[in-house]
Amino acid sequence: MATSIGAVLVLTRRVNQSIMIGQDITITVLELRGDQVRIGIAAPRSVSVHREEVFAEISRQNKMAAGVSTDDLARLARRRRPPS
Amino acid sequence: MAETQRQLETARFGTLTVTADEIVSVPDGIPGFPGFHRCVLVPVDQSMFWWLQSIDDPDLAFLSVVPWPFFPDYEPEVAATDQDILGLTDAADARVLCLVTVHRDPDRFTANLLAPVVVNQRDRRARQVVLDQDLPTQAELAPPD
Repeated sequence: MATSIGAVLVLTRRVNQSIMIGQDITITVLELRGDQVRIGIAAPRSVSVHREEVFAEISRQNKMAAGVSTDDLARLARRRRPPS
Repeated sequence: MAETQRQLETARFGTLTVTADEIVSVPDGIPGFPGFHRCVLVPVDQSMFWWLQSIDDPDLAFLSVVPWPFFPDYEPEVAATDQDILGLTDAADARVLCLVTVHRDPDRFTANLLAPVVVNQRDRRARQVVLDQDLPTQAELAPPD
C-alpha cells in the first residue's frame, strides 16, 4: 500500500460542477457567497467526512484523553464527591 | 456452548478476562487513533464512568463518562447517517459516553460533549460521532477550586 502523499491537485470549478474522487466520492460546488463556498459531498457511508478543523480538534482531544490514568480517575471521583 | 474467553493484559487494569460478547467494535477507529478498532467497556464508580480499553493495545484506554449526571441538559442529536452506520433504530439501544481529558492542572477534568462515543448495545458497534450542535469539546467536569 502506498504510504506517501500524492501530488496536490488544483482544479478550477464553477458552481454546480463537481469533482470525482475515485469511483464513488463526488464533491460539488453548490454556491459562492463572498469568501464562503458551499460544498456538497456524496460519499459511501464507510467514508467519514469532517470539517478539517473539527477533525483536528477532536483528534487533539482524543490524544489528551488517552493520557488519563487510574490515579486521575481516583482524583476526579474524590473531587466530584467530596467526603462529607 | 461456552463463550470464548480470552485473557487481556492491560497497562491499567492488569489481566482482564474478556468474553467474545463483551467486545465492542469500532469499525472506523476514532480521530487520532485510526487503529482503535476493538475495545471492552470497563465500568467504574457505579457505572458513572467507563474505561474503553483497547483490545489490541494494552496501553490504550480512554476514560469516558455518562454525561447526564453532570450535564442534565445534554441533548445529543445523532445524525441520520451516523444512526445508519451504527444500525441504530431505537434511541434506547444507544449508550452515549463522553471521553474525559485531564489537563495540565491535574485537578481539571473535562468531557468532550461535541463528539460522544455512541455504542449500539444490540450489536456492540461503536462510533465517535461529531454532533452538528454548538457544544464544547471541553466541558468542565469538576470545577476548579
